[in-house]
Amino acid sequence: MSLVTALGRLAHVRLRGYSRRTAAASWGAFLTARRSLTAGTQPLRSDNKVTVHFINRDGEKITVKGAPGESLLDIVISEDLDFDGFGACEGTLACSTCHLIFDEEVYKKLGPVTDEEMDMLDLAYGLTDTSRLGCQICLTKSLEGMVARVPESVADIRQSKDGSS
Amino acid sequence: MAILNHLTTTCWKSFQSDRLNKQLLYALRALHKSAASEALGISTTGEEPIPDRLIAPADVGEKTRVKNLKDMPGPSTLSNLVEFFWRDGFSRIHEIQMEHRKKYGKIFKSRFGPQLVVSVADRELVAQVLRAEGVAPQRANMESWKEYRDLRGRSTGLISAEGEDWLKMRSVLRQLIMRPRDVAFFSDDVNKVVDDLIRRVSCLRTEQSDGATVLNVNDLFFKYAMEAVAAILYERRLGCLENDIPQETQDYITALNLMFSSFKTTMYAGAIPKWLRPILPKPWEEFCHSWDGLFKFSLIHVDKRFAEIKGQLQRGEEVKAGLLTHMLITKEMNLEEIYANLTEMLLAGVDTTSFTLSWASYLLARHPHVQQQIYTEVTRTLGPGTVATADDVPRLPLIRGLVKETLRLFPVLPGNGRITQDDLVVGEYFIPKGTQLALCHYSTSLDEENFADSLDFRPSRWIRKDTTDRVDNFGSIPFGYGVRSCIGRRIAELELHLALTRLIQKFHISMSPLTADVKAKTHGLLCPAAPIHLQFTDREN
Ligand code: HEM
Ligand code: FES
Repeated sequence: MSLVTALGRLAHVRLRGYSRRTAAASWGAFLTARRSLTAGTQPLRSDNKVTVHFINRDGEKITVKGAPGESLLDIVISEDLDFDGFGACEGTLACSTCHLIFDEEVYKKLGPVTDEEMDMLDLAYGLTDTSRLGCQICLTKSLEGMVARVPESVADIRQSKDGSS
Repeated sequence: MAILNHLTTTCWKSFQSDRLNKQLLYALRALHKSAASEALGISTTGEEPIPDRLIAPADVGEKTRVKNLKDMPGPSTLSNLVEFFWRDGFSRIHEIQMEHRKKYGKIFKSRFGPQLVVSVADRELVAQVLRAEGVAPQRANMESWKEYRDLRGRSTGLISAEGEDWLKMRSVLRQLIMRPRDVAFFSDDVNKVVDDLIRRVSCLRTEQSDGATVLNVNDLFFKYAMEAVAAILYERRLGCLENDIPQETQDYITALNLMFSSFKTTMYAGAIPKWLRPILPKPWEEFCHSWDGLFKFSLIHVDKRFAEIKGQLQRGEEVKAGLLTHMLITKEMNLEEIYANLTEMLLAGVDTTSFTLSWASYLLARHPHVQQQIYTEVTRTLGPGTVATADDVPRLPLIRGLVKETLRLFPVLPGNGRITQDDLVVGEYFIPKGTQLALCHYSTSLDEENFADSLDFRPSRWIRKDTTDRVDNFGSIPFGYGVRSCIGRRIAELELHLALTRLIQKFHISMSPLTADVKAKTHGLLCPAAPIHLQFTDREN
């Protein structure tokens, strides 16, 4: 595990001073490693990418590909899709800005929803019966060709300063 | 702007490949965007008339005329002064919130000396404000906290940091302790503390003549909360639940008590202008003194852990990596930032959780039927004597409901703050950028429109019929909402769920004749106005 290497390095590296990160395992990765050691599950890995169509707030269709196991938020970030304000809490279930709307059939295939996701969904703007949080949906092969619609954004109470909007 | 540019490029160069950093970059870019648009704008402050060009009718709704702050109702400056300083309104902030909501409506203004505060006391309006937030929202003026840290050469932590400093630390910490799945990892550590809690209850009640009463349960829950949060954050047992509490832990508790007992003075310490300090030195001195104590505690424990890791490595022993070890190794934050964040998290994570446990057990004692219902659910789901872990909690909806309902009736933070970072229109009023808002969570969570029979204690109101059943709950957001919401939320929930499940399994909790009706008072947080004494009788199992 890379953690071990990191620990090995620690013996030589002094922690004082403003030295920014060294390449060490993230906490999540560390936990996943631990979990998979005990549970014997491997993170999904495949060369076969899954196609996802996003429909943005202007109704435009954007087609991208992602690897199984990646979340829809991961894809939005890695593909640099510009949905204003999307994924504000970086997938940590604190914001519901990664709210996406699906077709009924796709919705049924999205996998179980946790209590925490439901609680955050309750706070999402423009909630529908087929809404989910994008950061909680992981791609699987069976979702090939899925469509995910980015809902209307919040009626903006911010006042533009240049008067142009 | 230059700093931002610099930071962005540095980030880009050094961590291009790291996913986490890609996310940070994503967020920073957004911050950059908003900073850029700010630089173009002219900020308006105070109660100036609204510049015409600022009103975009499309945003405001067709026929509504936007009013300005002058037209906003609210108590007069004088009556507010009397209310708060003469009639000790600070301890009744939550009640005053309700009174003012009735009298002035969903949105009203108050003045505290030079400080204008706009209170937002309506579910929809609170939602609007929080949804309009930018990438690095600001809660309140944290100048005095910052000043102390500058004075001592310390870093700010999540509570006191702003802007990019805050965002950078938040991005690191949320990846560690915000995902429920990651926090579930601490389940066993927390359960060990729960073991001690149960033992402590059994021990304390033998000290009373009835063999059942635990006096002032908050004292007990304070120790539990501190022990549990330290087990997670410092990877260390402090011994709070032992008969003899170690000296350095005792010192910390003293510092924490000083911090809270001087809460009002510390609030003033921020408000009192610096030039007055030579004449009125005490509040500022106490403020610094209590922070010294809080920081010292973190320094001791972080340094201890650091030395331990080093020793273990030198001896070639295996190092068990918990949260602190991880932070020390990855150095995503520097050591000063680690000290500061652990200090601020411990400060934020103890009283909040302990008051919630006190209220929850008080409510259970006051409502034996509800307690019985939850007991039945727990025993039916877990079987007798099984210790619940985080994985069992989804099967205990009434336990989750109990925590939600307790926090609805007694939101530890009865109100929260935001300083607006854009000009906003809220409830027909134009609110200039830089205005201090107070989000009135206490009044929204007791609003009859949001929760039917709002004064009733009904954990079952939170139960969903199925996964598409929605509970519109913006009225009760005890941990806040969005990017600046409580970072300790999932830790707190874990501590609460596991402790309450076990207490309910083990004991029948009932009112002690020594305790009557206990009201809430605000002392920074919403806390019991009188000690809560409860009886804990063994369940037969
Ligand atoms: C029942 C328990 C708790 C409640 C009700 C609670 C509530 C809150 C609330 C309402 C906020 C302000 C959020 C906002 O401004 O939107 C907050 C912030 C915060 N809480 Fe908690 N909290 C609890 C437990 C904890 C615990 C256990 C920790 C530490 C592990 C913690 C650490 C923090 C920190 C560091 C912040 C500041 C976050 C930031 O500004 O980025 N809290 N909490
Ligand atoms: S990104 Fe915040 S909840 Fe999904």
